[in-house]
Amino acid sequence: MKQQDKFHLRTETTEGRCTVYVSGEFDLEVAGQMRAAMAPLIELTDRELALNLQDLKYIDSTGIGILVSVLKARHANNAAFTVEAIPPSIRKLFDMTGITPFLTQQA
Amino acid sequence: MKAIEEVVTLQVPATAEYVDLVRVTLYGIAAKMGFSYEAIEDMKVAVSEACNNAILHAYEQEVPAVLEQQNVEIKFIKQLDSLSIIVKDNGHSSRAVSEAPQTSPLHGKTIGEIHSGGLGLYLMQALMDHVEVLTSAGTQVTLTKRLVRSEELA
Repeated sequence: MKQQDKFHLRTETTEGRCTVYVSGEFDLEVAGQMRAAMAPLIELTDRELALNLQDLKYIDSTGIGILVSVLKARHANNAAFTVEAIPPSIRKLFDMTGITPFLTQQA
Repeated sequence: MKAIEEVVTLQVPATAEYVDLVRVTLYGIAAKMGFSYEAIEDMKVAVSEACNNAILHAYEQEVPAVLEQQNVEIKFIKQLDSLSIIVKDNGHSSRAVSEAPQTSPLHGKTIGEIHSGGLGLYLMQALMDHVEVLTSAGTQVTLTKRLVRSEELA
């Protein structure tokens, strides 16, 4: 397995905004790690939450399912969640499943 | 003479950490056959979804009295004009899988209505030319992609 395919997660917090950068392969194997990382951030409703996918190589339905649950949790709390820098191959899957409009609009 | 059909078989433990190995193997076989980069990406997602289902199914089962390793078997069947991938779990129980073509789970819904169930099967159907699900002793998913050579695309 190539090093660039390994899942990596980094969080950058500024006043008013929290950005999570994920890279590599976001699949079933890392679902638990991703859920655990996002859980406390979802609760920070005074901040905007963004997920940056610039270096993401791969996502599966488990990954998309996690995005759906983050979306729903943020929406229930009336807090913003956006997904940015979506690579074309990932965008194709988002468009296919119909999640794209939810990811790009503000809560 | 080259056989009309060539088969590569891979057997991995039914755990998530081996799905990337299945993807790497698929990449090697599909690239050798002359599939486009985009077609290979489509197959990678579809095959991973089939493996995910097999793995999740393995975990759902009751722990057998004798703790045996659960495996997933992946057969890559190279034909002249297509590649079929059969993903088979050795589950002891059967589970219901709807084979009917699904509409996209999230299209035209409000945020309150959306859920992630059924996304995997939907993606398999959207990304492959043919999907067949057999359930008897365990589940067997057959995914087929036709080979469109790059000169035919021009």
